[in-house]
Amino acid sequence: MKQQTNPEDDALRHHTYDGIQEYDKRLPNWWLFTLYGAIAFSAAYWAYYHWSAHMVPGYVRVERQIEEIQKAALATGAAPTDVQLWRLSGDPAVVAAGQKIYTANCVACHGENLEGGIGQNLVDGQWIHGGKPTDIYNTVTKGVLEKGMPVWGPVLGAARIADVTAFIISKNPTIQKPPEE
Amino acid sequence: MNNTQTVSVTYDDKVVRYFMLAAVLWGLVAMLAGVLIAAQMSFYVLNFDTSWLTFGRLRPLHTNAAIFAFVGNMMFAGIYHSTQRLVRTRLASGFLSWLHFWGWQLIIVGAAITLPLGFTRGKEYAELIWPINIAVALIWVVFAINFFWTLAVRNEKSLYVAIWFYIATIITVAMLYIVNHLSLPTSLLHSYPIFGGVQDALVQWWYGHNAVAFFLTTPILGIMYYYLPKAAERPVYSYRLSVVHFWSLVFIYIWAGPHHLLNTALPEWLQTLGMVFSLMLWAPSWGGMLNGLLTLRGAWHKLRTDPVLKFFAAGVTFYGMSTFEGPLLAIRSVNALSHYTDWTIGHVHSGTLGWNSFMAAGMFYWLTPRLWGTRLYSTKLADLHFWLGMVGILLYIAAMWVSGITTGLMLNSVTSEGVLAYPNFLEVVNSVRPMLHMRILGGALFLFGFILMAYNLVRTIRTGKPVTTTVEVPAPERRTAEGMSLAGGLFNAPMLYSVLLVVFACLWGFAGGAVSTVSFVLMVETVLVAMIHLSISGAKWSQWYDRLLESWLPFTVLTLLAVVIGGAIQILPLVFSRQAVDYEQAMQYVYTPLELCGRDIYVREGCYNCHSQMIRPLVGEVLRYGPSGRLGESLYDHPFQWGSKRTGPDLARVGGKYPNAWHFQHFENPRSTSIGSNMPAYPWLYRRTADIGALPEKIRVLRVLGVPFPERSTEQIREEFLAQGREIAGDLEKGGVRISPDKEVIALIAYMQQLGKFKPDAEKQASAD
Repeated sequence: MKQQTNPEDDALRHHTYDGIQEYDKRLPNWWLFTLYGAIAFSAAYWAYYHWSAHMVPGYVRVERQIEEIQKAALATGAAPTDVQLWRLSGDPAVVAAGQKIYTANCVACHGENLEGGIGQNLVDGQWIHGGKPTDIYNTVTKGVLEKGMPVWGPVLGAARIADVTAFIISKNPTIQKPPEE
Repeated sequence: MNNTQTVSVTYDDKVVRYFMLAAVLWGLVAMLAGVLIAAQMSFYVLNFDTSWLTFGRLRPLHTNAAIFAFVGNMMFAGIYHSTQRLVRTRLASGFLSWLHFWGWQLIIVGAAITLPLGFTRGKEYAELIWPINIAVALIWVVFAINFFWTLAVRNEKSLYVAIWFYIATIITVAMLYIVNHLSLPTSLLHSYPIFGGVQDALVQWWYGHNAVAFFLTTPILGIMYYYLPKAAERPVYSYRLSVVHFWSLVFIYIWAGPHHLLNTALPEWLQTLGMVFSLMLWAPSWGGMLNGLLTLRGAWHKLRTDPVLKFFAAGVTFYGMSTFEGPLLAIRSVNALSHYTDWTIGHVHSGTLGWNSFMAAGMFYWLTPRLWGTRLYSTKLADLHFWLGMVGILLYIAAMWVSGITTGLMLNSVTSEGVLAYPNFLEVVNSVRPMLHMRILGGALFLFGFILMAYNLVRTIRTGKPVTTTVEVPAPERRTAEGMSLAGGLFNAPMLYSVLLVVFACLWGFAGGAVSTVSFVLMVETVLVAMIHLSISGAKWSQWYDRLLESWLPFTVLTLLAVVIGGAIQILPLVFSRQAVDYEQAMQYVYTPLELCGRDIYVREGCYNCHSQMIRPLVGEVLRYGPSGRLGESLYDHPFQWGSKRTGPDLARVGGKYPNAWHFQHFENPRSTSIGSNMPAYPWLYRRTADIGALPEKIRVLRVLGVPFPERSTEQIREEFLAQGREIAGDLEKGGVRISPDKEVIALIAYMQQLGKFKPDAEKQASAD
């Protein structure tokens, strides 16, 4: 399997170690390019980021990003009204979607049949934080931290909270139909 | 060679055989533990509701066994076997060799007992408790003395490249291990690391990353440089590539540690350094791969028949793959996706299964017939091992890529409404269940292949007898005249240019203003002058290097210098200057006795193996977990618990999110509150009484370390503990649960509930300094 190459290129170093010999081949150009390229890129990257006056701490950067996203979200939709939520609770598709969200996020504390547990009973007709559709919607969105109800607004978002509110209304014959506006 | 004087050398191969067999045995244990903990992630019942069988305690057992027991013993076998032959002398001290062997096995047994029992320091790959740490350091020194003593009495003038890598391994691992294990004991079995918060994070990943570098990489490269050309019967591809990639590798590797902390609260300059040095590491790593693969030129046809070369070729290829993947994952934006996910797990295993285990297998198959004077029992079985292993690795890493990228994308995904697309963490975890199953299959196939190897080796050994090798070697000339002095190693042109370059580069990078500009010019000039000088005196420089290779002490000192610089520049500013840390308007509260007790339970149960406590400044994370982490929030955490993997959600701000009753139910049966969870249950926390008696000493030690606990008597600590415990127990009682306030679960709940609480740091400087 002797390969025909430049004989000088294939010269072996004179020293052997326990029978192991060594060529002294030139470093491959593409390898050198990778090495020098990475060094040059790194120097440029450091110069740009470390010395750039625009560099802000991560926690400031992300707060700005979130502010922008939420501003855009606010511009597109307003909070639903009692009537809207009531209508949604009559839509089987919405209720089914709401039930899914309930099963994934709420069941652990409020129980499979909304009977309560760690959290409050949601079908006994008693509403500590208000029983109008928008009250329920707001309780879910803002949470009740001192009672252990998490803030779901930034986690679920308005649309899914509306769905799950519709589901809760559909399970509660005690909630009155709000007067049409 | 017209030297007529010869000496007779009998190699000490008995200790090599022992180390090799130990490696096979511990390899089996490590991989079996690996398959078990992989299965636990799919089937939580496999935690058996038993403290010493839960994932959080067994995962450290798996990693420590794989790294220190399996690769450690394999490395010692390879180093002792090849070094004797490369320097043509017997190991300097039989006593030290056997002390090394039995000491190391004893350490492993100690680890295998203490880790499942929950005795841990709570830092990854540095979990072992302080008495074992001291034993490891001592045995490592025994190894070092034995090795360098052997070099000192060698019959071969010049040091081969494999020896360079062994030298780098020994001194660097000693440095890393000692610094990262500095602790103050609170009892015989427990200690707190002397570093806390961000300092601890930085030291930990300087160690963690370079344990991979100098425990799993450099010794195996040295082993590759001996066994691969031996097996291929071909010359090594390029000596000068060896020189360039060795020095660039050891110098650059040390700097790359902070890439484990990208997008955390770690100061930006450190993150940037971690990223760019990882990118620069790509070429030096591939230098090693090239020298391995290109040495096979002219021997590729042997791969069809020789299992040894098959394993080596595949091992080196996996090395190349994972050293490409590494820099990729160290890019800040890629890391935003990959970090905390299975992608990292896949990356590690393409290194440990693909590179370490395959190189080990090749070495075992090569060594066994030679050490026992026989032929390999079955080449077919070795081939089967190879293919089982190969398919196993590919299934494993493919599963982890898919799982890592899927969960990374899902968790960070935000809808146009500005909310999380997948708000339920468990929905994300369970979406990759099939991938978790596939990982078990891949790991099991790999283990099965390894069992076949063990069987094959045992059958081989039975057909042979231990061989004692004696060789006649030329007697050494007296080296004194030619050997290089330490000064000769330090003061010369190539060294001068290297030092100037590092100094100017640092001044350019850190000083700012005019100094930076001037340094940049000087840096470029140094390169130019060095290149011109090289073109004139290149021959002289290579003569200097040849002479350096004949002098182990200056060589070792230069290697030490190369590995010290990076760590010193990154770590010392944070350790010695509190001003260097911007606490970012957040200041941790000092733990109450109950919370501290709960935190130690959190550490004991290995919660950090699945839960992080570091919210990254990414939109998805802030929406999911709350405001991103600030440095001041973990200031008093010895050890830090930022974590590296999220099999469960981040816990940095879980405090106050759920009522006490939720946590109480959750620890007893995680599925009662979190449907579909794969978290183990912790029933023993409800039975065991918390160790209040240990708290005064723990608090005293933390005060010594600078945590501003108020001065309290033992009795006061006890009272405070019980008062807060009664508060929580009383709250639970409202839900109809009766539990004594001194049970461990109460302490853990107290710790959970204070996570994420901090005060603005106005009052802080006064109290901390």
